[in-house]
Amino acid sequence: MKSLFAKMAMATTLGLGMVSVQLPAHADTKVGLILPYTGTYAALGNAITDGFNMAIEEAGRTDEFSIVTEDTEAKPPVGLAKARKLVLQDKVDVMVGVVSSGVLGAMRDFVHQSQTPLIVANAGNNLATGENCSPYIVRVSFSNGQINRPMGTWMAENGIKTVYTLAPDYSAGHQMIESFSAAFTAAGGEIAGSDFTPFGQTKDFGPYLTNAQSSGADAIFVFYAGGGAINFVKQYGSFDIKTPLYGSGFLTSPLYVAAEGDAAIGVRASLHYIPTLDTPENKAFVDAFMAKHGTMPSEYSVQGYDAGLALMAAVDAGGADKKNIAAALPNVSYVGPRGALEIDPATNNIVQNIYVYDTVMGDDGLTQKLIDTIPSVRDDVAGCQM
Amino acid sequence: MDASFWLLQFLNAMQYSMLLFLLSIGLTVIFGLMHFVNLAHASLYMLGAYFGISVSALTGQFWLAFILSPIIVTLIGAILYYTLIDRMRAAGPMNQVLVTFGLIFVILDLVRLGWGDIALGLDAPDALAHTVSFWGISYPAYRLFIIALGLTIMISMWVVLARTQIGAMIRASVENADMAASLGIHVGRLFFVVFCFGCALAGLAGVAAAPIFSATTTMGITILIPTLIVVVIGGLGSLEGAIAGSLIIGFLETFGAVLLPSLSAVLTYILLAVILVLRPQGLIPARG
Amino acid sequence: MFYQTRLRTITLILALGFLAVYASFGSYFAREIVIEITILAILAISLDFCAGFGGMVSLCHGAIMGISAYAFTIMSVKLGLPSVPSAMIGLMAAVVFSGLVGWVTARTSGIFFIMATLAFGQMAYTFFFKSRWLGGDDGMGGIDRFNLSWLGVDMNDALVFALFGVAVLLLVYVIAAILLRSGFGRILSGIHSNENRMQAVGINTANHKAMAMAASGLMAGIAGILAAQHTLYISPELLIWTVSGEVLLVVILGGIGTLIGPVVGAIMLVMLKHELSNYTDYWHMVVGMVLIFAVLAGGRGIFGQIEYWLITRHSPKTPHLPPAKEKDLA
Repeated sequence: MKSLFAKMAMATTLGLGMVSVQLPAHADTKVGLILPYTGTYAALGNAITDGFNMAIEEAGRTDEFSIVTEDTEAKPPVGLAKARKLVLQDKVDVMVGVVSSGVLGAMRDFVHQSQTPLIVANAGNNLATGENCSPYIVRVSFSNGQINRPMGTWMAENGIKTVYTLAPDYSAGHQMIESFSAAFTAAGGEIAGSDFTPFGQTKDFGPYLTNAQSSGADAIFVFYAGGGAINFVKQYGSFDIKTPLYGSGFLTSPLYVAAEGDAAIGVRASLHYIPTLDTPENKAFVDAFMAKHGTMPSEYSVQGYDAGLALMAAVDAGGADKKNIAAALPNVSYVGPRGALEIDPATNNIVQNIYVYDTVMGDDGLTQKLIDTIPSVRDDVAGCQM
Repeated sequence: MDASFWLLQFLNAMQYSMLLFLLSIGLTVIFGLMHFVNLAHASLYMLGAYFGISVSALTGQFWLAFILSPIIVTLIGAILYYTLIDRMRAAGPMNQVLVTFGLIFVILDLVRLGWGDIALGLDAPDALAHTVSFWGISYPAYRLFIIALGLTIMISMWVVLARTQIGAMIRASVENADMAASLGIHVGRLFFVVFCFGCALAGLAGVAAAPIFSATTTMGITILIPTLIVVVIGGLGSLEGAIAGSLIIGFLETFGAVLLPSLSAVLTYILLAVILVLRPQGLIPARG
Repeated sequence: MFYQTRLRTITLILALGFLAVYASFGSYFAREIVIEITILAILAISLDFCAGFGGMVSLCHGAIMGISAYAFTIMSVKLGLPSVPSAMIGLMAAVVFSGLVGWVTARTSGIFFIMATLAFGQMAYTFFFKSRWLGGDDGMGGIDRFNLSWLGVDMNDALVFALFGVAVLLLVYVIAAILLRSGFGRILSGIHSNENRMQAVGINTANHKAMAMAASGLMAGIAGILAAQHTLYISPELLIWTVSGEVLLVVILGGIGTLIGPVVGAIMLVMLKHELSNYTDYWHMVVGMVLIFAVLAGGRGIFGQIEYWLITRHSPKTPHLPPAKEKDLA
């Protein structure tokens, strides 16, 4: 038994080396979806993939695009290795994806040097369309600054004078809070205090919540996403904190707001998409998504969907191959579920509306109620030279 | 910072310590008694949370989940014991690390398959979903419940270990298993009982924590390190060590977070390094 | 005590040969996999050196590798030094860190030693994670590979770099084998078997253990330089304890205390992971089952089990093989 196992193990190892993955090669455009499918961000990777696939299927163009998926595990070296595989081995014409800004940072030089267009469908690091921009990197999701600057201005203009901020202690957390605070103070507000919670470790926000309340600020503004957001909102509710809670929309994202329960009611946030937007494009999108997946779409699904729309628009404008897609992507503009969208050729970042919304209890559970729209938010050029 | 600030943080620290205690007491006794490195202990905590959410969703009753979830986790623990753990007891620490690490991976993906990748939440029971006002502060009733739960279990275990026969048998087996066996104590059966009890506590900790923290697929791995640190700092195999360790870590992390925010991420590790260098067997080891 | 038996030499040649052939004739991604394997194998050898032969099971080897990689990157990218002196400094940083950890933890053993190394590794991780100057969790890019154009080869070619990795792996194995066969290695084995007795003979075991950790750190540092040059980008991810955990798994899976076992383990784990992830997102479960099965099937690790079986077929007593049941952790 033991020797059989050993022999099989040896044989398998040697045999595995001979196996290579067979890929279909008849479509016009080869797309590499490079997303996390395992680990903490797996849910986001799947949501983006669902949105992307739906865009291609709805347009009836599944024959034109052959899709290869690779798991980045949200780890920079793994993401980079997979990117190299997609470009150098699978010879994709375009890549779509990247949830984690760390992975995007690791891939950036390679994408630029290999001249393979990358449609960023999540990673929000400001530098990717700032100092580290590239003609081959086009972002259809958001930048960290883009989501928070309008909220800073809006809160100051709506009677909030002092704010206490909280976010996880990593670069996205810092970028989100910095852009919020800069806009808030520029509009006349004052930051009463600020805390950064240890990244990945903090599950108990009790100490920070009590700190924030005792500062006496008019409002608390935070950035948390995923499990951290659920914990934060629930604990905020359990402590019965009187100070109103505001945040970056990831705090009450449709993807997981249900887990937050009643504590999420009354929390106001800003985000680039909410499923309750009352436009014909969005209604069609939401109905189709609901029919196909049985849940409401989240901002991650729409990012994938818009990546698909952007890709098809670029292919129609330029051509189905790498070079033409790269040239056409920065000039894409259309009306999607999020509203009017265009890519700003100065930064290759998306120009989009930012929606301020309230979380309320609807007939089917928690839902988002639009309060205000800040139209066509555009990032400054901020050091981007292309 | 006034008196109410200190009281609030004190309660936060107590609540976190109690959660750590529930997890670490199971692990330390298994470690100290069976010399078994069970890295998958924290994965049982995760299962406790997820089963608790499912039972509560199915029946609409938190308290039913609270009681059933540890029972389900104990059953799983018993199955693991008979299929894997018992066989591994004599296998040496390195193989135990390998097997339990393998278990961590398997349980992780099984949870992903069963419950999906999105984080899930559980609401605190209506009876406890409010705040209690006293001494100038308002504190969530559910967290007070956790403190009470932890203290109750702490005291009951103390009584059992110090005053009952089974407690004496456990203490004897931890000190010298061979001698205890030669005195007629059925050490193997004792191991099984202790192991199951440890699993029950892990499951209980999971379902108790679920209303405060959400249930995610990485919650097991995240809490594994603090639990191991508590066990090692406190000293293997001793109840007093687990109590001391969980209180120290709980208070250090809570007060560190608000008083020394820039250092708070490393405080626990600095303490761990200092203790291990000065007292390599931990603070209150059960043996020598 | 370490012996370079014929079986081990044959396995080494087979393993290196397989890697070289796979890189040369396999697909593009095969080269990436080979580089990944060589980095993991070098790290695994370094861990087996101190864990398998010295009894010092460390959970900070990922951190040591990361420190070397960061020091190398700081010197070459931030300060503009040429790559070879930067690499030397990177290795020195790894040696200093691991030597210090070894010295400070010399009195601890078993699970306590493991946790102490974990603590130091996590402290290093937090330092790099929070450092704005070093890019924090965004990491640093702009790394260059060694310039071997005077040999007529382009290191930026994946095949060249893969074969370079295989050559470095051979070098590290040889260094480890020589060290283990030397007086230093014998004392280390002695300390592993019975530290008190070594002290009674007059050996300063604390110093010795620190030096062993430093030697192990040197090898881990080599892995770090390779890792940085592979991805041309570095982030604090390398220092998380789960990386160190994975190396430990590889060492145990392959066969702790055999030096070649970890290399076999590294090959198996990386190939398994990559093949599985082509078919399913739930490959963690399969890897977990493989680990459990590997233990149930023998308990000496894959190579260790093969070695044991092959040798005890001919002679019942084998004094130089590691026992299947190791010392208590507690």
